[in-house]
Amino acid sequence: MLKLKNYMVASVIAVLTLFSFNLKAETKEQITVIFNGKPGGSFNSRTQLYKDGLVAAGYDVSEERMKAKQAVKLFKETDKPTIMVWSNNMVHRYDLFHNSENFIMVEYQQPLWICTANSSKGKDSMTVAHGKFYNVDLIRQIIGDNVTLVPYKNSSAMLKGILGGDVDMMVNNQGKSFKYMASGEGTCEPSTQLPIMQATVMGTNLDIAKIRNVIFDISMSTDFIEYHTTRKLERPSSTWEKELAEVQTLEKAWKVD
Amino acid sequence: MEHLIAVFFGLVAGVITGVIPGAGVTVAMIVATPLLLSFDVVQLLLFYMSLASMVQFTGTIPAVYLGVPGETNSLPAVIEGTKFNKHKLSKLAIGVSAIGSVIGSVVAVALTFSLIVFLTSKITIFFSNNVKFYLYLFIIIFCVCLYNRRNFLINIFLCVLGFTLSLPGENDISYDLRLTFGSEDLEYGIPLIPVLIGFLVVPTMAKMYTSNDSSSFLPSVHLPFQKVLKYFRKRCVFSAVRGSVVGYLCGFVPGVSTVLSTNASYGLEKKINPLKPGNKLVASETANNSGQFASMLPLLLIGIPITGSEIILYSFLVDAGWSPFQFDNLENNADMIFKQIVPWFVLVNVVGLIVAWPLAKQILKIFRGSKNITVALLAVCMLILNTYLGILDYRVWLWSICLIVFSALGLMLKKYETIPLIFMFILGTDIEGVFYRQLII
Repeated sequence: MLKLKNYMVASVIAVLTLFSFNLKAETKEQITVIFNGKPGGSFNSRTQLYKDGLVAAGYDVSEERMKAKQAVKLFKETDKPTIMVWSNNMVHRYDLFHNSENFIMVEYQQPLWICTANSSKGKDSMTVAHGKFYNVDLIRQIIGDNVTLVPYKNSSAMLKGILGGDVDMMVNNQGKSFKYMASGEGTCEPSTQLPIMQATVMGTNLDIAKIRNVIFDISMSTDFIEYHTTRKLERPSSTWEKELAEVQTLEKAWKVD
Repeated sequence: MEHLIAVFFGLVAGVITGVIPGAGVTVAMIVATPLLLSFDVVQLLLFYMSLASMVQFTGTIPAVYLGVPGETNSLPAVIEGTKFNKHKLSKLAIGVSAIGSVIGSVVAVALTFSLIVFLTSKITIFFSNNVKFYLYLFIIIFCVCLYNRRNFLINIFLCVLGFTLSLPGENDISYDLRLTFGSEDLEYGIPLIPVLIGFLVVPTMAKMYTSNDSSSFLPSVHLPFQKVLKYFRKRCVFSAVRGSVVGYLCGFVPGVSTVLSTNASYGLEKKINPLKPGNKLVASETANNSGQFASMLPLLLIGIPITGSEIILYSFLVDAGWSPFQFDNLENNADMIFKQIVPWFVLVNVVGLIVAWPLAKQILKIFRGSKNITVALLAVCMLILNTYLGILDYRVWLWSICLIVFSALGLMLKKYETIPLIFMFILGTDIEGVFYRQLII
């Protein structure tokens, strides 16, 4: 009889223990993180850092990996709490704009750079590499009419193009421009007239104010600071309202007719 | 010890990847992600190098025995290997390919060692649009003039069809999407694997199924290794050296590296020795391994990945703490290549030679059963692979439709070599961009 009683007590304790673990698991907030960039790219690396940070902050994180267009579709249609890194130069192409419902934070910003090959000095007419998503009229306005614009698929292709001697100049992002300068083949300067690229974090089905605090803390971690420092990325710091207003203003400049 | 672990897993992954038709280094890298996340920079490089080198060896086995390309690089091995197979000399084909592959690797290392200073100063030449333009021109001429017994009309038709299939979705030079017919799935273009299965694997399976000689894909002549070595020494040495050099140079071409290495070398050998399948096979397989080493140099030296699988590798390297600003570290990187990578690379190739020879026997045993069972197994494998990759790509319906349509087309074209189509499909948008830029620069 005593044995049976002991078994019963033990069983009750076991059930209660299991139940309490279950309760703890259920209290974990769930969030989906969308990986929408190619492996090796900044989107992928940053998303991974956010994912790790959210796990460390106690979130129950699930991930989805897909291409940008599919990611935008999921982001717009999902009814689950979801975050995704985004960038203001992609808003027109993918029809996903920053607004008060989805904007969480500006993580960093960087200007476009104009690089000139050492070998092109003294040339009358120049060939200029640009990304296929750039506004060619704006580039022509800034660099001058006496240029031949040469479209490339992406920033890496442009870098290879100027290193291979295809073009005299390129309009490229900060990372590739640093690489070019490091090669010693030419010089680069940040443009004050071309649009500024802002890397952001967006969310849906979330308490934006609450998640902004969490995301901001993650972005101040050692890993993130190292990520930004090694790439010399500028971190703007402001209120949510001001950041959103700035992002909405700057994203207009990326429209391509 | 850590390095040995990385090399071991790379070799195992290479063996598996090589013998599964359609599975390439890129897919293998993706599948191995859980393992790779725990590797450091050198381990990652060793894993990749072992995997990619081993695939060159084992990819030849299904290509020769079954007429099925392990990956796109194995296409010449399919054409020339099946000629050996018909004469029940597959073992000879595997043997000379493996020896050629080792020679290709050794020559690539030797070339790199002697050219390292020149390479670090001039490597960017290979990024030039001008160089790519003439290389692509060469590929197109090669496709039109050399395949299908110089039947220009059918070759042009295949080139045009391949190029047309490359058109949907984004292109290299403009913002606009094209030929998507309102389908979001088509915005990313037509997927590669259904094209490869439909135009390469399905015709091969059809040929196997309709073949009267049930043992036409099974070798029956046993050859000792010494005889293979003697055959190689007597007939294939010059082809191997030629293949190594051509493959090495072509390995630097972004995007296509080993595919171009193999096929350019094969094309050259076809000109020099049109009636000698052994020479053509050795030249292409030698070029494959040589090109594989060369293709890694831009990534190792200047931090620019030039092939699809290297892009995956690059992402793991960056995550493992590799500096993305590699221009600062040319000398350090060259030092790392020769002290930490090259010794393992040579060892891996020797292991490849040792493994490929007996492994071929095991592969043969697996497929020794009924021809119909082999065809059915292949069909099921292809279906599973296509569906699995389609699901991973979130476009399983498009992948399935493409598989059905291209398989039907592949059956209609089964008596032709479809390599020109594959070339133009893979390179189409890049060729378009290069030709366009060549016009305006």
